[in-house]
Amino acid sequence: MSRQFAPGAYEHTIDVRNFIQTNYTPYEGGADFLCPPTARTRALMDEVNALLKKETEKGGVLDIDTDRVSSLLTYPAGYIDREKEIIVGLQTDAPLKRGVNPFGGIRMARQACEAYGYKLSDLVETEFSYKTTHNDAVFHVYTDEMKAVRHAGLLTGLPDAYGRGRIIGDYRRVALYGVDRLIEEKKKDKRAYGERPMDEANIRTLEELYKQIDFLQKLKDMALLYGIDISAPAQNAKEAIQWTYFAYLAAIKEQNGAAESLGRVSTFFDIYLERDIADGVLTEEQAQELIDDFVIKLRITRQLRTPEYNELFGGDPTWTTESIGGMGEDGRTLVTRTSFRILHTLYNLGAAPEPNLTVLWSEKLPESFKNFCAKVSIDTDSIQYENDDLMRPIYGDDYGIACCVSAMKIGKQMQFFGARCNLAKLLLLAINGGKDEKSGKQLGPVGEVFTGKLDYEKVRAAYSKYMAWLCRLYVNTLNVIHYMHDKYAYEKIQMALHNTEVERFLACGVAGLSVAVDSLSAIKYAAVTPQYNEEGILCGFTTEGDFPKYGNDDDRVDSIAADLVREFYEELKKTPAYRGAIHTLSVLTITSNVAYGKKTGATPDGRAAGEPFAPGANPMHERDASGALASLNSVAKIPYDCCRDGISNTFSIVPSALGEDRETRAENLCDMLDGYFGQGAHHLNVNVFDRDRLVAAMEHPELYPNITVRVSGYAVNFHKLSRAHQLEVLKRTYHARV
Amino acid sequence: MSAQSGGAQPVGYIDSVYCGSGVDGPGLRCVVFFSGCNLRCPFCHNPETLYKRGTMSDVNSVLERLKRYRGYFRRGGVTLSGGEPFLQKEFVLALAQALRAENIRVCFETNGHIADPELIAAGDIVCDVKNQQTDDLSPYEHFFAECLRQGKSARVTNVLVPGVNDGEEKLRALARLVARYFPQEHIRFLPFRKLCEQKYEELGLPFLYADIREAEPGDVDRAEAIVKGI
Repeated sequence: MSRQFAPGAYEHTIDVRNFIQTNYTPYEGGADFLCPPTARTRALMDEVNALLKKETEKGGVLDIDTDRVSSLLTYPAGYIDREKEIIVGLQTDAPLKRGVNPFGGIRMARQACEAYGYKLSDLVETEFSYKTTHNDAVFHVYTDEMKAVRHAGLLTGLPDAYGRGRIIGDYRRVALYGVDRLIEEKKKDKRAYGERPMDEANIRTLEELYKQIDFLQKLKDMALLYGIDISAPAQNAKEAIQWTYFAYLAAIKEQNGAAESLGRVSTFFDIYLERDIADGVLTEEQAQELIDDFVIKLRITRQLRTPEYNELFGGDPTWTTESIGGMGEDGRTLVTRTSFRILHTLYNLGAAPEPNLTVLWSEKLPESFKNFCAKVSIDTDSIQYENDDLMRPIYGDDYGIACCVSAMKIGKQMQFFGARCNLAKLLLLAINGGKDEKSGKQLGPVGEVFTGKLDYEKVRAAYSKYMAWLCRLYVNTLNVIHYMHDKYAYEKIQMALHNTEVERFLACGVAGLSVAVDSLSAIKYAAVTPQYNEEGILCGFTTEGDFPKYGNDDDRVDSIAADLVREFYEELKKTPAYRGAIHTLSVLTITSNVAYGKKTGATPDGRAAGEPFAPGANPMHERDASGALASLNSVAKIPYDCCRDGISNTFSIVPSALGEDRETRAENLCDMLDGYFGQGAHHLNVNVFDRDRLVAAMEHPELYPNITVRVSGYAVNFHKLSRAHQLEVLKRTYHARV
Repeated sequence: MSAQSGGAQPVGYIDSVYCGSGVDGPGLRCVVFFSGCNLRCPFCHNPETLYKRGTMSDVNSVLERLKRYRGYFRRGGVTLSGGEPFLQKEFVLALAQALRAENIRVCFETNGHIADPELIAAGDIVCDVKNQQTDDLSPYEHFFAECLRQGKSARVTNVLVPGVNDGEEKLRALARLVARYFPQEHIRFLPFRKLCEQKYEELGLPFLYADIREAEPGDVDRAEAIVKGI
């Protein structure tokens, strides 16, 4: 008979946080308790590795089911190796076989099939010829101006042809409460909303609640396909992990959003694992085996994408982001043994980009955990760090990261993903009187075309004017997208795992920050003269003299960066967002910094036309020459209070610069994280490797099959990146003391 | 007493400040490279500090810049290197004192030819022994003796240049010198690298060690084995 969990408010209302707080055991010890993989895990992982190899050999996609449309009950049960699996459930009926999800847009689904030598079945084509997809609906409403800025690459990566993603269902609820209780609660909500005046918003909510309840029922049926009944609460650790995984699996069968993140499950699982261990029904080896098996499943998550999509989001990422560690509001650490166990999968199963393991860093984290994380980073380059001390006061202690850097209270907040605007291109537009420097088309309002040596104040004023114009257009475009996404591709199971009253963010973003900032600095401190071609279109600049560059802890230029994001954020807020969403801003590019660069002409900072931008909030490649800490200090000055959707910094340091041996390197990395986050910085991707190793990996991929690199808020397998993305990674600054 | 108070502040000539090294003393460090040196080692990695005047700076401006990094200095601190920092005694003493007043640890990287008691007392010592062009190690005898007199140890480094100072005899002489003063200290060999070649080109100077190969990890292992064997 299992011991009872400690009682709490969670018994009366849906409140996973309260369950965690009343039942978890903080762990302040070291990593020496961890177990290596069992023979079973090794054998299963060998099978998965063989499949992964086949997938690569087939050009990145192993197989596609073109006959069925992906949803919870579309496919029969699928297994990697039924005898060996502990946690079961696949997206389709076979591992790595990709399903088709045309709800976001049929064209994208069709093209994705064709790109890999498949043809979408006539059945699916016919069915969807009678359906309005999210993509259809958005284009029914887009204005000419919206289409023009989208086409020119001023706004790019908008989720108007696929699922928007970045919504984290509270998948833990299924384990803690069982599906029946969740249905019962939603029915209660539906009855209550039924009493309200039937205005448009209320009717919409009621229809959504209907869909949520319907899909909770389908979730139960999906589990039954595997012979498992999840109507009641999980009774042990294996069930807790299985129930939670089923909920996540349902979400990724239903939705193909760019980022379908997991949330914050490790410490929740730990409660069940530790109870089973205390009851003597589970050993440490078995506990690790459960986590290993769960992570194997997360690693083979796949969505079907087009090559154009891969240009923006290179490396076939899924952003199965799991947030680990952090501190509780009561001062106890949320680090548990399972925080270690999940990081340990990077040793047991080998380094890998997914799940996107994200450590919530606090100065107060136990030293032993900090040290372990640092070593995992040094050994695997597979973790990212985000500042818990910065986010906890805003989001409490049960938030998770969606995608790369987007924080939200799990089950209580969600976001409308809004991709990003190209700040560098916008500057060119401002200098060029509103014309696109690539096509010569008039994109924005007609303004002054600057000639002769540029005057900083005048250019800056023009930039503000165009920023105001674009921000209004940007928010309005996103409003169209998210209205239509709610209408035609609503996230039924994910929203069923949220409170019915949910807080929404409109997550806007900027790209090309360092290019725009250095360009403005060049205009301010050096002499910049624009050049025009015969048609009067801006085609380049002459820049004479030196100027301070972002990334060297120089306030003269770093303050330009801080001012820019603040102004952009203030402008965004002037246009109301759909469904009362709160405007937020990210400085994040994913890998789209390469695509944005291609679409942007030469800039005053000396960057040539078509050259990639730096990723996220990073200083431009090799311009941060004053040392790693100076570079970090510059990024730390970007204010989080106006970039609540995250500030991504991808950092590469060569091992020999970090310290002489592994122990010293780990200590120094901890000090670096403490120093960086202590200044209120938000995020750091950490890579510890030599550039030479990547050059070798590019030339001889067969010798380096599993090199994982952190790019912009996520990790990828280096050899899954396109050549252009690989070259961009190589151009980045590798901090080395020369 | 504070270095900032009263009278004219001493000024120093600084080539550059590099913020973020894990290999110039314990922990993470900011390194101030001073301009000017009393030696002219042909393998010098920072020739720009030998032939350029650098930027004139006062203590306050350097201190303010370095203070921005204190959050990283849990185990680390500031390293004053060069060039030869001990050539700018007044400024270095004032800067070291100002840093200490801010609870920032200071370490000197010196060539050991200036055995000044006040300077040696002002921070931790890393001494790079130059035995590449000479067999005369007597300057270090004075320097180490002063360290010892003050009851402090020096970390000893040595740039290992293949075919120049990696012979058994040179290595043994170096090991004996260090053992006499600091029997606990382990000599840290810095493999000779040619990453600085471009700097010589930019300065229009010949790089006399251009034809010598870079030291490999194996060379360092071998040297370490030899010094252990004395």
